[in-house]
Amino acid sequence: MKKTLTSAATVRVAFVSLVSLGMLVPMYLLVVNAFKSQQEILANPFSPSFGTATFQYLADAWNNPDFSILKGYGVTIALVLCVNALAMAVCAPAAYVLARTPKPISRLLLFFFVAGMFIPTQVILVPVIFVLRGIGLMGTLPGLILFMTATTIPFTLFVFFGYIRVLPRSLDEAAAIDGAGRYRTLWRIILPLMRPIVATVFILNSLSVWNDFASPQMILGPGSGVYTVTTGVYAAVGQYSTDYTKVFPTLLLAVIPILVIFVVMQRHIMSGLAAGAVKG
Amino acid sequence: MERTSVSKPRAWRDLGARVSMVVPAVLVYVALLVVPVIYAIYYSFTEYNGFPHRVPEFVGLDNYRTMFGSDDITGTMVVTAVVAVVGAVAVNLAALGLALLLRRTNRFNTFGRVVMFYPHVLSALVVGFLWQAILGPQGVVNTMLEKAGTDSLPFLSDPDWALWSMILVIVWSLFGVQLILYLAGLQAVPADLLEAARIDGASRWQTFRAVTWPSLASTVTVAVITSGISLLKTYDVVVSLTGGGPAGSTKTLAYSILAVSFPQRDIGLASAQAVLLIVAAAVLAITVLVLRRRAEDDAESIG
Repeated sequence: MKKTLTSAATVRVAFVSLVSLGMLVPMYLLVVNAFKSQQEILANPFSPSFGTATFQYLADAWNNPDFSILKGYGVTIALVLCVNALAMAVCAPAAYVLARTPKPISRLLLFFFVAGMFIPTQVILVPVIFVLRGIGLMGTLPGLILFMTATTIPFTLFVFFGYIRVLPRSLDEAAAIDGAGRYRTLWRIILPLMRPIVATVFILNSLSVWNDFASPQMILGPGSGVYTVTTGVYAAVGQYSTDYTKVFPTLLLAVIPILVIFVVMQRHIMSGLAAGAVKG
Repeated sequence: MERTSVSKPRAWRDLGARVSMVVPAVLVYVALLVVPVIYAIYYSFTEYNGFPHRVPEFVGLDNYRTMFGSDDITGTMVVTAVVAVVGAVAVNLAALGLALLLRRTNRFNTFGRVVMFYPHVLSALVVGFLWQAILGPQGVVNTMLEKAGTDSLPFLSDPDWALWSMILVIVWSLFGVQLILYLAGLQAVPADLLEAARIDGASRWQTFRAVTWPSLASTVTVAVITSGISLLKTYDVVVSLTGGGPAGSTKTLAYSILAVSFPQRDIGLASAQAVLLIVAAAVLAITVLVLRRRAEDDAESIG
C-alpha cells in the first residue's frame, strides 16, 4: 500500500515537472536568444551564449525607429490607468444604486449590463469606428479609452454589484440618519469597504487592457503614430518574423514589465482571478 | 400632511441622486457597446463602403447570402467552430487534470500553478510571435530536427498541420486560467464526503466519479462554455502566428472581419459576419445562464 502510494506520487511529480518544463521552455528560448546573432540562433537555439552574448540586439530593439518601446510602455500604462479610473468612477456609483434598488428594476438593469460581457468586442470594432468617427474621437487616445472603458463596464459593474449587495444596509441607514446623501454615503462609507474588490478588478482590467491588440490596432491605426506595447510589437516584428535578432529582443522587452509585475504580485493576481470568477 | 411636504423634496433629491449615479455608466456602455451592436445589425442589411459621404444602401439579406455562399467565409466558420470546440475541450481537460494533481497546497504545487498560469499575463499577440519563432519553418524545433538529421515538420506551413498547431498554442497559453478556476472549485468539494469515501475504501477513480465530479459538474459546464465563448473571437494569435494561412487554414471569423472584409471596405459583409458571431456568443451565453440558474437551484435544494 505504502509503496504504490509513493510511486503514484513520483509519477505525479514527474508529470507536473514535465508540464512545467513545457511551459517554461518558450520563455527560456526567448531570454537566451535575445542575446545572440542570427547565425548563433539558427545553429544552437537552446544553448546560452555566455561567451558571445551581446546587448547589441536588445539595444537595437530599444532604439527601433519604427517603434519606441519606452513610449509604448508610457502609452499603455496611461491607458491602463485611465480606463481603470474611468470604469470605476462610473461603475461604483451605478453598482451602489443598483444594489440598493428594489429587485425587478435592478435585476433588469443588471441583466442589460451583464449581457455586454458576452459581446465579442473584437467583432464590433468596425461599427465602433463609425460611432467614434461620429463623435470626433476616431484615431485618438480618448476614443480608445472610452471604448475600452465600455468593454470593462459589464464585468466591473457586475462584480461591484455582487460585493455591495452583501454589505449591510444598516450602514446606509445610519449614514442617512446622520443626514448624508447618496454620494456622501458612497464616498465615505461604501468605497472604503470596497478596497479588496477594487484591487481585484484593477488587476483583471489592467491585464485585459495591457494585452489588448485589436482595439488599439483598429482605433488608433498606424496613421495616428501612437503605439501601445502590442501594436508597437506588431509594427516592429510583423514584417520581419524570420529576423530573429529583431523578434526575440523586441518580444523580451515587451514582456519584461508585465512578467516582473506578475512575479511580484503573483499571489494577488491568481487569487484575484479566482475570486473574480467565483463572483462572475 | 405636514410630514409628506417635508419629505417629498428629499425623496425627489434622492431619486435625482440615484439617477445621476447610474447615468454615466449607462451612457458610456450604450454609446460604445450597445449602439455598435445595433449598427452592426443595421449595416449587415446594407451595401456600404464606409466613406463618410456615402449612405448605406439597403440590400436585404444579400450580405448573409454572400456570407453563406462563399466557400472562403464558410471555411472561416468551420475554423472558428473547431477552435472554439476543440480548444475549449482541450483547455478544460488539461486544466481539470492538472488541478486534480496540484490540489494540495505545498511549495512544489504552488510553483507548478504559477508556471502554468504565467502565459495568461502575456498578450496573445506576443505568444503568437514567440511560437512562430519556435514552430516556424526556420524555427527552433525545425532547426533542432535538422541538426538531428531528420526532416523538418511543417507545423505552420502545411494546411493540415497549422490549425492544430494553433490550437496547441492557444491551449498552452490559456489553460492556466481555467486551472485556477478548477482549483477554486475543488475547494468547494465537501471535505467530509471525501473523508467518508476514503474510510469506505473507495479507489481514487471511484472517489472522483462519486464525490468530486458531481460537486464540480456545474463549474465544468460553465467553464467549458465560457472558454468556448472567448475562443469564438480568436484574432490576435492568428495575426501573429499564422496570418490566417497557409491557404486560409487558420483564418477565423474574427480575423476575416478585421483583416479581410474591413480593409476591402465591405462594411456590410463585415457586419453580417459580426452579427453571426454575436448570435453564436449569445446562444452560448444563454446556455451558461440557464445552466447556472439550474445549478443554483440544485445547490439551494441540496443546502
